[in-house]
Amino acid sequence: MAIISAEHSDQLYWLGRYSERVYTTLKIFEDHFDSMIDLKTEEYEDFCRKQDIPNIYTSKDDFSRRYCFDEENPNSIYSNLMRAYDNAIVLREEIGSETLAYIQLAVYAMNRAKTSDAPLIQLQRVRDNIVAFWGIVDDSIDSESIRSIIKFGKRLERIDLYSRMRMESAEIRREMNRFNFRINRTGLRYNKRKLAHLNYLVEVNALDYETIIRELETLFELEEDK
Amino acid sequence: MRTLQFQYHMQLTFDFPACDHHFTLRCRPFHDIRQRILEERVEIYPKHYSSEEVDSYGNKCIYGIARTEHDHFSVDVTGEAQVCAENYLPALPAHRIGMYRYQTALTKAGLGLESFYRDLRKNASANVVEHVKDLMDGLYGKFQYEPGVTGVNTTAEEAFCRGSGVCQDYAHILLALCRLERIPCRYIAGMLMGEGATHAWIEVSDGKSWIPMDPTHNRMVDDTYIAISRGRDARDCTINQGVFTGGGSQKQEIRVVVNDK
Amino acid sequence: METERLFGYSDTVNELLARYGVKFGIYKNNVFKEQLFPFDMIPRVIEKQEFAFLEKGLKQRVLALNEFIKDIYGDKKIVRDGIVPEEFIYAGSGYLAQCEGVMPPKGIYSHISGIDLVQGKDKQWYILEDNLRIPSGASYPMIARELCRRSTPITFEKNAIEDNRNYAKLLRRTMDHVNTGGHTVILSPGRYNAAYFEHSYLAEKTGAHLVTGSELVVENDHLYFIDYSGKKEPVGAVYRRISDEYLDPMNFNEESVIGIPHIYDIYRKGNVALLNAPGNGVADDKGIYYFVPKMIQYYLGEEAVLQNAPTYLPYYKEDMDYVLEHFDSLVLKDVAEAGGYGIVFGNKLTREEKEHFLALLKEQPRRFIAQEVIDFLDIDIYENGEVTPRKADLRAFVLMADEPMVWKSGLTRFSRNPDSFIVNSSQGGGFKDTWVMAE
Repeated sequence: MAIISAEHSDQLYWLGRYSERVYTTLKIFEDHFDSMIDLKTEEYEDFCRKQDIPNIYTSKDDFSRRYCFDEENPNSIYSNLMRAYDNAIVLREEIGSETLAYIQLAVYAMNRAKTSDAPLIQLQRVRDNIVAFWGIVDDSIDSESIRSIIKFGKRLERIDLYSRMRMESAEIRREMNRFNFRINRTGLRYNKRKLAHLNYLVEVNALDYETIIRELETLFELEEDK
Repeated sequence: MRTLQFQYHMQLTFDFPACDHHFTLRCRPFHDIRQRILEERVEIYPKHYSSEEVDSYGNKCIYGIARTEHDHFSVDVTGEAQVCAENYLPALPAHRIGMYRYQTALTKAGLGLESFYRDLRKNASANVVEHVKDLMDGLYGKFQYEPGVTGVNTTAEEAFCRGSGVCQDYAHILLALCRLERIPCRYIAGMLMGEGATHAWIEVSDGKSWIPMDPTHNRMVDDTYIAISRGRDARDCTINQGVFTGGGSQKQEIRVVVNDK
Repeated sequence: METERLFGYSDTVNELLARYGVKFGIYKNNVFKEQLFPFDMIPRVIEKQEFAFLEKGLKQRVLALNEFIKDIYGDKKIVRDGIVPEEFIYAGSGYLAQCEGVMPPKGIYSHISGIDLVQGKDKQWYILEDNLRIPSGASYPMIARELCRRSTPITFEKNAIEDNRNYAKLLRRTMDHVNTGGHTVILSPGRYNAAYFEHSYLAEKTGAHLVTGSELVVENDHLYFIDYSGKKEPVGAVYRRISDEYLDPMNFNEESVIGIPHIYDIYRKGNVALLNAPGNGVADDKGIYYFVPKMIQYYLGEEAVLQNAPTYLPYYKEDMDYVLEHFDSLVLKDVAEAGGYGIVFGNKLTREEKEHFLALLKEQPRRFIAQEVIDFLDIDIYENGEVTPRKADLRAFVLMADEPMVWKSGLTRFSRNPDSFIVNSSQGGGFKDTWVMAE
């Protein structure tokens, strides 16, 4: 039987969130990168706005480099991957060495991408390793609560990112279904009223993205027990 | 034989509420052949849970946690003790009490104490107790009582070099001198007849018994003293020890009253 | 045995070690860095017979050391009988007065002992040092073996080698033996500790929970682990990888924020097992080392099977005379230092340094031991495509459950530079697997 401390459940949750953040932002980055090549060189400005991150970049090249690899930039994909690693490294005993290895491999791939003249190819390996990580989480972690907390973090992050990117409501509803399925398998305590509100918010026609994001970020704020 | 009434009061007042307050209290007077405790009441505020144990120096410790927020923490011990100054506590043979024969961080003698020790009048033929009396007498002539100039972390050497201090410093210096000769000796924290703060003195083993002596007053300990805790130095005898979260700055107040019954 | 076959797998195995994050942490200019621990493919091979001899000596040594610690915190007969001068106990930093009169569960003090040995050119094994506090390193050969077997199965098919991956089982048995009822945890100071990989790997392999101090609490005289729903789970054994000093701010260093307040109080009552017991430092001091063969004689009535490196205690006048006379051929060690520091080779000092050192030695004779420089048997490493010799030691692990058990392997560390005698990993060396032959 697995017993998980509050500290470790937090780390499992953030491991899920950061792995998702790296994966999805990489995917979006790659799409934008393609159109930035010759179609629309200022597209990164739009990207920053949607992601709600400060546009500190001076050109598309500067953006490509620093958004991906800048260790000092807390919003870079590199920094997000390191945060995934920071959470994973303390969870060896919960997730297993085999699982942890894929986050480690993603870090190595990221470091290689950083010095590569074809970074996109190496970044593909970062994504490959994250996908493999999710696969092995499903395959080899016996404890349902451990597995579910990671996956729940991933689901929550995805709705958050998709909302920031103003994705179609159908996409967000699909993610919300997966989110609902997962949350009750985690054993985590959350604010039930907020969850009901979220479910309402994704059903209306014109999505209120800002409210969705806010409710997600405060889902664990419990109301005083009456 | 003498019957004394005692009150020990300690209160720690915080600027901001403290919580998760772990405490260890060595506040219960010894109950032994030298002092029989006829009555005793201990009150601790606040506490979440507490328990008891005896530490390696023989102190009866109360330890526990006050989890919830509190703006002060207090300990009150009151009761009656029957003191019989002619009874001495038995001492184990020297090889069993080695820890009392070596200096600690607080008693370690430096150049000042070493040179003072060399110049002290010593009578090689005297028994241990007479000999320590000589050391105590030498110290008394050299060191002034002055409150507020030394602190809980002041070492014997530091206190000696400044030339004045309080009972803790007298005790540490005498321990340092005894330990230069590997005489087994220990620090005692306790209460003294009258009204004031806690007091400190030492005990020296003569091979059979622990003989208490009070260097602050340059005299043997009589039936007006009640011992609370003992150890190698003041640190081992800390009556109120705690770690907590929050609290801000703190103020400690200690009041001791000892009367004849 | 054809070790050449192994050379081809050197890169593969080192890559796999990187994949699994087999690293140790170091602080450089106050910045924490993780470093790979370089692995050399050529194993140290110990024949079955030879290991049986080592095993006998190691068990004997650890049994005597355990008796010694029990005696020191109890009746102190060995002091009374004048075998060990009491200065070496009370004036050292290893003795903890807080441990006086405290008996750990089942009377075991040193559950996991790391005994460092070297082999001389004369093939003779010498004990270099006993580590009875928190010896580390077993995880490295354990995982290296796993990866070597994966890389070159045929090597392990063709050679009968004792499987060293049973370390987790031995450790689990050791922890279970003293468990007072409840879960077993490995207490780590956290991921910025040099040996964090080992803490997490041993937790995974033994099925113990890896925790930091803030995840445990003492209440009602028992130790609990609090899970994320707030439920309290009792803990009966703590394999703690933090030093005595930081274990409990209420009983040791008050400034410690990584410890667990009052854990020592309930240990004193027998309500939890701590592995290893606090206070063990009194027995693995470099000064006490000199007396271990005498302890074996005293407590077990046996001659020591394994020899110490020839050691002199300047504390004794005749030894001081010898040291002064043969200074240039000796190595002097400061008993208070560890990890390859505080070591002085007599012949490497300049004239001023030597004068300065001799003055210090005469002033504080108890602070140093002097040893003959052992002519190490070099062992080969494979580096940049060629085989080249290095100095190496062996850390053997002895685990104490209902009986002492010697792990049939060990951590072989080698020096980074060909002319260096210092094999400590914090000074840049690498490691090897240690094969104990089964036939």
